[in-house]
Amino acid sequence: MAMPRRSRRPRTTLLILVLASVTIITLDARGGFHRISSGAKSLSADAFAPVKSGVNDIIEPIGSFLAGSVHYGAVRQQNQKLQQEINQLKQERASQADAEQAMQQLSALLNLPFLPNLQSVPAEVTNYGTSDFAASISISVGRDDGVQLNMPVVGAGGLVGQVVQASHHTATVRLVTDGQSAVGVRYGPAPGSLAVLTGEGSGKPLSADLVPSNTPVTAGEQFVTSGLQGAIYPAGIPVATVVSAKTGSSASQESVELRPAADLAHLRYVSVVLWGPSQ
Amino acid sequence: MTLRDVARVGLVMLAFVAVQQTLMLDLRRGGVHPDIMILLPIVAGIVGGPGRGASMGFWAGLVADLFLPTPFGLSALVGSLIGFGVGAATLALDRSAWWLPPVAALGGSALYELIYAMLGSLLGQPQMLHVQLVRIIVAVSVVNAVLALPALRMVAWALPEASTEGVPTSVVATGGPR
Repeated sequence: MAMPRRSRRPRTTLLILVLASVTIITLDARGGFHRISSGAKSLSADAFAPVKSGVNDIIEPIGSFLAGSVHYGAVRQQNQKLQQEINQLKQERASQADAEQAMQQLSALLNLPFLPNLQSVPAEVTNYGTSDFAASISISVGRDDGVQLNMPVVGAGGLVGQVVQASHHTATVRLVTDGQSAVGVRYGPAPGSLAVLTGEGSGKPLSADLVPSNTPVTAGEQFVTSGLQGAIYPAGIPVATVVSAKTGSSASQESVELRPAADLAHLRYVSVVLWGPSQ
Repeated sequence: MTLRDVARVGLVMLAFVAVQQTLMLDLRRGGVHPDIMILLPIVAGIVGGPGRGASMGFWAGLVADLFLPTPFGLSALVGSLIGFGVGAATLALDRSAWWLPPVAALGGSALYELIYAMLGSLLGQPQMLHVQLVRIIVAVSVVNAVLALPALRMVAWALPEASTEGVPTSVVATGGPR
């Protein structure tokens, strides 16, 4: 029996598309195409900001209505009335707690001890990242508010991350826990030793590079940004606190695990520090 | 493809992006959210064959990459491969079978996430293999399997004439399954 022949066209199409993709990835990584892709990303973010806000405004009441309808048929009228009252009270309590939490974060941001002479722009966290493979957040301020690429972003406890994408009204922040994040830090008694903290992924502890073996590092010790010349963060911002430190028998470096100083899992508001490495 | 088809594909893509950037991102559980952009090359592969699956994967991937912090072009590359793969794998199957889209979405999405993480790792993002990959694969695949049928309808509307490209010529000649 003769083997069926397949058209070559789809394979040619695939080959062209794969080559095009690889070219785009390479050009973007080498910087030649980055300005174009960055501009396109910025345009998309600006174009989708009102769509997102509009869809959320539509969906939220529908969701509440559907949730209410599901419960409506399940209980008798009197019980339902009581239930509704309970729900309302719970909702009020929850929203009060929510408002208190937001207020606490905002108040803390107004008085950050580690930013005495630096200007900053407060921002609301609008989303916890668009990719499952990167630790990032979206915030409600952008270039129109003075936000630029690479600016540091801080939360109530300390460093949150760095601006990696800025459109007119929104920005994307790479969190310190992201695998691509590396922060130069100082630790120990003044003037302090230098190390680099790297992210290991969302929700995972940070790890420290360049801490020599048998260095006395204790749990709870704080690592702060080094602020060396040309550093991407100003000096003195708390980055993380030590959770554990141990040295293997033949290791040249100490294995140090740290917890981010800012509560990255519950960020509501952050501040973008209007600072660049030249300052 | 006619201009009308291109406009329809653009409209469907826009709808998918809007849902992904609003509803799907808000459905985050345990740090993981669904990714319905992956569905586009998968169902296009079923509807239009490997060539159209690959093309849809490329363009949908580029659009998705506009909103992602991962390397630009990576989603386009993986989307092309998955769209072609699904189209080629389903050539000999009865494409009107009700179970085909959910099964293809389940397997295609899992494979997509795996290849995406591996290629991302090769491209200097090693953390992509160290994230909660199993959880991501399960969440994305299951949601996409559930949404596969409506997605197929939308893409079938955008690509009304199922392509015979890539179909074994003997099958086309005998009018066999497409």
